Amino acid sequence: MTNEEFLTEMLDVLQTEEQLSMDTVLDDLDEWDSLSVMATMAFLEKSFGIKTTMKDYKEMKTIGDIAKKAGL
Amino acid sequence: MISFTSDQRYIVTGASSGIGESVALLLNELGAAVIGIGRSRERLDGMKAKAKYPENVFLEQKDLTEDIEGLPAYVKALKDKYGKFQGMALCAGIGRTAPLNAFDLSEARKIFDIDYFAPLMMTKGFADRRVNTGRGAAIVAISSIAGISCEKGLVTYGGAKAALSASLKAASREVGTQGIRINCISPSFINTPMTQSTPNEELLEKASKEYLFGFGTVSDAANMIIFLLSDKSKWITGQNYILDCGTY
Repeated sequence: MTNEEFLTEMLDVLQTEEQLSMDTVLDDLDEWDSLSVMATMAFLEKSFGIKTTMKDYKEMKTIGDIAKKAGL
Repeated sequence: MISFTSDQRYIVTGASSGIGESVALLLNELGAAVIGIGRSRERLDGMKAKAKYPENVFLEQKDLTEDIEGLPAYVKALKDKYGKFQGMALCAGIGRTAPLNAFDLSEARKIFDIDYFAPLMMTKGFADRRVNTGRGAAIVAISSIAGISCEKGLVTYGGAKAALSASLKAASREVGTQGIRINCISPSFINTPMTQSTPNEELLEKASKEYLFGFGTVSDAANMIIFLLSDKSKWITGQNYILDCGTY
């Protein structure tokens, strides 16, 4: 998956109408809540086979940090 | 008095007959714009012909079980076509009488497709923040008394309806933070084309003796659905209301 494809997928995961970039700060998104974290966990596991925990997301600050976790 | 405005758009599935048709017509009469989904173009046209404000009735011919996986994208495409939705009434469903000794797995899966997976995927599509109007948006699904207190012969149907109301309870908690409400109604026997086409004589006879106020009519169900879609019920979510004139 390219970075661009990843960002497109994240639009659906977060159900956001904002423009996303790798630098987008998660806490700046209204949509970034516990359900979005759960949806992101499901997305990383389904698309990348990567298991994450809620704790991992406390350390992530940007969309880029999620991409990094996904191995991009 | 419940009223809506024409910029309040409501999706109604199963809008071409029975309870769905009644909900679509009542929403329209009270001022809302209705996007009526049904399998038969002809029957949808028939519904629209009865509408008080036909200019606010929009028809979408669609078999919801054709591509269940694609339903969230379908709802999103409807939003692109019409604008964000204020609510959705999930009225499409199928009744089937078959006892355990006639239980057939592939038949059961078809019933779950129509009565469980399709409404759940429509709900998934609607709950997308980009599709609904946010606070004040509401979904109502028709479950069934069979999902709570199931008569003989309703092994599969009762299972699908119980699954639907259970899943929507969880969903109501998830989308509640966005201000979206989700409720179910669980009617007992109501005279509709669906219930008339699935004869269960034993149940009918029992019902005709036991129902205090006789069989329900489609408007008995539709009135409750309209209330649950409207802001008059803004403090109510995650519930499953039995409509059965006190029978069960």
